Amino acid sequence: MKNQRGALTRKSLALLLVVAVASAVAITAFIGGRPDNDAVVKPPVEIEDYLFWQAKDLTDFKLMGADAQTFGLNELKGKWSFIFFGYTHCPDVCPLTMGILGQAFKLIEKNPAAFQEVQGVFISVDPKRDTPELLKEYVSHFSNKFTGVTGDTAQLDAVSRQMSALYTIDREPGKPVDVYQVTHSSTIFLVDPQGRLYGRFPPPLSPQEIAGAFINIRAFYNERFKK
Amino acid sequence: MTSFFLKTLIALMLGFASMGVSADGVGIQIQNPWVLAPPPNVKVMAAYLEIKNNGEKPRMLVNVSSPAFEQVGIHQSVMHGDMVHMEQLKELSIPSHASVMLKPGGLHFMLTDAKKPLSIGDQVPMTLTFQSGEKIAVTAIVRSGPAEGMEDHQHMDHSGHENHKH
Repeated sequence: MKNQRGALTRKSLALLLVVAVASAVAITAFIGGRPDNDAVVKPPVEIEDYLFWQAKDLTDFKLMGADAQTFGLNELKGKWSFIFFGYTHCPDVCPLTMGILGQAFKLIEKNPAAFQEVQGVFISVDPKRDTPELLKEYVSHFSNKFTGVTGDTAQLDAVSRQMSALYTIDREPGKPVDVYQVTHSSTIFLVDPQGRLYGRFPPPLSPQEIAGAFINIRAFYNERFKK
Repeated sequence: MTSFFLKTLIALMLGFASMGVSADGVGIQIQNPWVLAPPPNVKVMAAYLEIKNNGEKPRMLVNVSSPAFEQVGIHQSVMHGDMVHMEQLKELSIPSHASVMLKPGGLHFMLTDAKKPLSIGDQVPMTLTFQSGEKIAVTAIVRSGPAEGMEDHQHMDHSGHENHKH
């Protein structure tokens, strides 16, 4: 009896394996068949660490900027977007990262065509304290290339989960309700002009590193999509 | 003779330059205290400095205060993989003959609720209290970024960069 069951299990396992392999092949063929597929071309060594193996299409989302402006996937298209998730009550990592990114934009400005395509997006994951109006002022301190946006939990999750940029509000018992820290991603995400998650810049970062890598990433991208 | 004189002079100058703020007898030196300039309407910011302990005994920093802020805490940004969060420390130990760096992305004093807006060049007085009861007064300068690096690196190609590594 036992043996028979074992044999059956082995049989079904083999069947499962066949199904899994077949699906994998089918999925690969499907993805590989897309005209804009870029998984097969190995990027130059100096930028490969910043790029995802396969650019990831983003689905639409809706966040709010100042002056009742909504901000979604459409606002990412046609630009290279540097996206950072943070909050304004963050005294160390957020202003540091935003400062570095602002300086990277200044370096990129020496390449006017590249500079024109660049935008920064600061997504506050602390909508209780960060209003769109406050965010507008906050981001303008670092560069006029920045847009500051936020949304409710569902709206924020719709973006952050696509980038695996998790965040948590860390409340401590006994402290006032508006006194809390936020755990958030320290990575700057790069979305390409097609609205696809294309790369990322993890810390530690320097403006020179970001600017230099971006110029090369853009050249690599343009070589394949524009010509 | 001249070279001896010169060496002494240079040694003296270097000595003064690196002295920073020190409290006699405590053996603690504070160097390069600064505050990262905040964006408009932001009342929470961070102060950075280096604490050197030239003494034989370890020193414990137990409190930091500033008349310019409602509250000051000893904080540390901690990375877990890609995620970053802040931890509050009750105290900060400075081992003997060692130095502890408070710098962006790591240890810092978290300054909460500025009593008035601060901008680049402003001075922020702070008092560091050690377990032994000794207090050290420090004046931090509001800056746009860390002293070295940020502002003077304006060129994208950096052929001369290696020269710094002597």
